[in-house]
Amino acid sequence: MPSPQAPPLGNHALDPTALRPEIDDARIERVEPSGLRARLQALKSEGFTTLIDVGAVDYLERRPRFDVVYHLLKLPAAAASVAAIGTPERVRILCGLDAGAALPTVSDLWPSADWPEREVFDLFGIAFDGHPDLRRIQMPADWEGHPLRKDYPLRGPGLEKTPRPDFALKSNVPAGTPASGKTAAALAKQIAKIRGQDKA
Amino acid sequence: MEMMSGQQFLLAKLDDVARWAQASSVWPLTMGLACCAIEMMSVTAPEYDIARLGSEVFRASPRQADLMIVSGRVAQKMGPVIRRLYDQMADPKWVISMGACASSGGVFDNYAIVQGVDTIVPVDVYVPGCPPTPDGLLYAVNLIQQQIRQGGRGGVLARA
Amino acid sequence: MHGPLGMMEGATSGNQMVLSMGPQHPSTHGVLQVLTEIEGEVICKADPEIGYLHTGIEKSAENLFWHQASTVIERMDYLSPLTNSMCYVLGVEKLLGVGDRIPERAQQLRVLLCELSRIASHCVWLGTGGIDLGAISPFFYAFDLRENILDLFEASGGARMHPNYLRIGGLRDDVPQGFLERLDDLIAKFPGRMRELRRLLQNNPIVQDRMVDVAVLYPEEALAWNVSGPVLRGSGIAYDVRKAFPYSGYENYEFDVPTRTEGDAYARFLVRLDEMDQSMRIISQVRKALVPGPVMLDDTKVAPPPKEAIALSMEALIHHFKYVSEGFRVPPGDVYQAVEGPRGELGYYIVSNGENRPWRVRTRPPSLYNLQVLKKLAIGELIADMVVCIGSLDPVFGEVDR
Repeated sequence: MPSPQAPPLGNHALDPTALRPEIDDARIERVEPSGLRARLQALKSEGFTTLIDVGAVDYLERRPRFDVVYHLLKLPAAAASVAAIGTPERVRILCGLDAGAALPTVSDLWPSADWPEREVFDLFGIAFDGHPDLRRIQMPADWEGHPLRKDYPLRGPGLEKTPRPDFALKSNVPAGTPASGKTAAALAKQIAKIRGQDKA
Repeated sequence: MEMMSGQQFLLAKLDDVARWAQASSVWPLTMGLACCAIEMMSVTAPEYDIARLGSEVFRASPRQADLMIVSGRVAQKMGPVIRRLYDQMADPKWVISMGACASSGGVFDNYAIVQGVDTIVPVDVYVPGCPPTPDGLLYAVNLIQQQIRQGGRGGVLARA
Repeated sequence: MHGPLGMMEGATSGNQMVLSMGPQHPSTHGVLQVLTEIEGEVICKADPEIGYLHTGIEKSAENLFWHQASTVIERMDYLSPLTNSMCYVLGVEKLLGVGDRIPERAQQLRVLLCELSRIASHCVWLGTGGIDLGAISPFFYAFDLRENILDLFEASGGARMHPNYLRIGGLRDDVPQGFLERLDDLIAKFPGRMRELRRLLQNNPIVQDRMVDVAVLYPEEALAWNVSGPVLRGSGIAYDVRKAFPYSGYENYEFDVPTRTEGDAYARFLVRLDEMDQSMRIISQVRKALVPGPVMLDDTKVAPPPKEAIALSMEALIHHFKYVSEGFRVPPGDVYQAVEGPRGELGYYIVSNGENRPWRVRTRPPSLYNLQVLKKLAIGELIADMVVCIGSLDPVFGEVDR
């Protein structure tokens, strides 16, 4: 963990997206939630056959709070040689939305969007309208809270120490059984034996 | 054990023979979770070869395994599964907590990882490392064998 | 209601049965639960359930300094840890603006180690793939080869897995004496060992029976489902990030990208075997082309001071103190960096807001997308082919669940 003597340095950028055109890793576009599906559909018909990734970022103090980030790649459908692939084009679509808002799903355009959208829902709480099966994917189904939000504590809510889970309660050695002291005594005996003191 | 001179048989205590048999054939459960599982696979590979210690097979069914090696980080979803597997194993059974994540949460002090599998199942031997080298796991199995020979649970390094 | 220990409700008709495979299973390559509906022996529906290894790596990375975050990020794809490191440090170097100033020796050694990592990962795939089919012997041969590679990782980085050797700005330190000789021994040993591995499985009629025409994936589906790596190349699309978006000097080396058009499990099997050969080809070229020189960027902001200087120089001591306790700041911005991992395109979308910690590291995990296509691949196959399907996709759950 970072040293407690070094808190965040402050003076940070509120919206660091698309600040670095010289990096040139993708063509970046920012789209409103209302125009998102139309834009993605247009890109798909342009030849962006692959939705590389759907992710989200929580900017906490910025309005809109979240960014859902779509990465697309233009790969030809039949390209059995490296030369036919060349350098495919990449596009990054950034869609800002507030907490509680929802986005339309794109899992009917690209079936690969199914699980990533579920993951964004699970970890950020952003719902996707029209998703066939929107439920938690990484956390257990009864988990409360959305862990990757910036206001969710790293160690989980209100936990100083991870408590003993309730499924640990059935056993032939009950969980929570304190050490009986036999261990300490046996260890002391072993040490004495090694040191040759038990013969003395 | 004693060999009666001139005779064709030897005498021993049943306990000793039983413990010798148990210690020489500790069969682990195939429960690889994360990176430590790969080192556990390396332990079965020719360079380190756990089979020469008696762990000839890794049994997939908990009913047939003696030893559960919790190798890897235990996520919140996986906790109940580990508990259920432990309960399904038949006595006598032992547990090795392999690696830092299984022993204490390791590098991942966060919401997603159970901070130590000993909050779920009783552990006999903890193996430090991230991941431990296969030698470490071999030593842990040696310690389990030592515990067995000294009489089930309650050997020097086990929880009493 | 679905759930980790629950079955799918809703009684199925006729001969159908719901079978839960995993999360503890000898052949699911990790903690995966596949809820299958089978009719007789034929799979009607397969619903993989993931999350059994969710580690919160991305959240942990947000709370660590830039150079500390690579330790947790390395633990995602634990079969080839250096690939994760590589992608992360390349991305951060782009954000820092030093991506084109990395010393050449560092770039070459990075390529060398990443290709060794690829071979090591494919060794595990080959060994476990064989065990899934009941062929135990290839496992021992493959892992023997892997031990040689892990010895090299241990020599250079200090640990067999997760050495944290690739650092922002270069490498932690140069390779030790004797490393290059051992590498030469491995290069000499490799063709013979590879021949043995191929002889064990490639033309074996049982392997072919079990893998040919099983889990067929057509190219349009492969693109729609966003698979990458050997899964995509087994379906006839020769997309390899090393060729399409070269990084770290890959454009200087000659290598092929094995591609097959059949799209079945056997095609992916052959693609991965050929990839091991191509990786060794790259390694030999790097070995010949290796130049002497520094392995860390000459930039005091990013590189820690040399250990020898710390005891003698006050500035070096202060620099070291600040580096360790406060880290360095990365200018604000976002970048998507992709590398070709053994499983496909591994990408990180790294966002920096100017602080000394990453604001967000979003992973594009190749195994997640490769595994998702199982929902489609398994339908119509026999239940016994499920392990072949999963094995041919080669998922790693540290990456899928993070």
